[in-house]
Amino acid sequence: MLDFLEKLFSRDDSSSRQKANDRLRLVLTHDRLGTSEKLMETLKEEIINVIMSHVEVDGKPEVNIIKEGRRSALDISIPLKGR
Amino acid sequence: MEKNSEGQVIVVTSGKGGVGKTTTVANVSSALARLGYKVVVMDLDIGLKKLDLVLGLENRVIYDIVQVIEGECTLKQALVKDKRFPHLFMLPAAQTRNKDEITPEQVKQLCKQLQEEFEYVFIDCPAGIEQGFRNAIAAANSAIVVTNPEVSAVRDADRIIGMLESNNFKDIKLVINRLQNDMVEAGDMLSINDLTEHLCIDLLGVVPEDKNVVISTNRGEPIILNEKADASPAFNNIARRITGEEVEFLTFEDPSFWHKLKRSLFPGR
Repeated sequence: MLDFLEKLFSRDDSSSRQKANDRLRLVLTHDRLGTSEKLMETLKEEIINVIMSHVEVDGKPEVNIIKEGRRSALDISIPLKGR
Repeated sequence: MEKNSEGQVIVVTSGKGGVGKTTTVANVSSALARLGYKVVVMDLDIGLKKLDLVLGLENRVIYDIVQVIEGECTLKQALVKDKRFPHLFMLPAAQTRNKDEITPEQVKQLCKQLQEEFEYVFIDCPAGIEQGFRNAIAAANSAIVVTNPEVSAVRDADRIIGMLESNNFKDIKLVINRLQNDMVEAGDMLSINDLTEHLCIDLLGVVPEDKNVVISTNRGEPIILNEKADASPAFNNIARRITGEEVEFLTFEDPSFWHKLKRSLFPGR
């Protein structure tokens, strides 16, 4: 019973509504910033390269856009290797 | 949005065409006039006018806004009085002219005169983000963004909200038009929550999909005159919220309803 209810109320990842939300999230972020997915990839690569040319990186670096309301910020998390 | 001694100028805009701007302007202004407020609607869709037709006032138009601006007639002469709602007036757009024949400054001047006499001045903004949009937002102190639960309409609405914000609009509210609750529940339409989360502005109202809108528009009668139509209470509620009244959202338009239900069923999540 609980399973059934959970299914009923949880978001179905494959629904067209979910798909619309995912696509909108991406497109609105880039519309607002005047960026593109490709530019973000380039940015990410270059940021990581700059860091790596000076210090040693440990683990998986992450560069993401985070949003608060209609504003966005670049969230950079680069784990560094200690001696 | 509250009543000042000077009338409030509200622009109704959307970016995308066909989402229901003119229908919203016609019905919300009629509803406000029925509540007893003095209301004027200004059609700024010069070259592609529709408001006169939607309001059923097309046969009463004598002069238009461009003739007022060019001094061919007075503002008073151009205003068309709605016989059904004694407090409602319309300033018609010109059909054979272009949007770049008037300037934002001239619209401001007109609104200033209208604000002295009317409590609410509604501006029906043309689709697009060009000159017509700039004219329409120049004199307004608040904005209503109309959208549909569709990706294309939401994207355009987002662009419009960004432009309104960079023009220092502080009061921007959302009207969701043509929502089909059964489709939302089936996972096939963006929900009220989805839209407010994407657009990040306050909700002013939700209008359900309603075939009666087509029928009313065919007849040139505002839908709010049809008490049985689903869209009718929705437009009335929008009008009342504009006056500052706290009006509860109808069950289907309650953005927190599903959220609450989900939380009460699955408290730990």
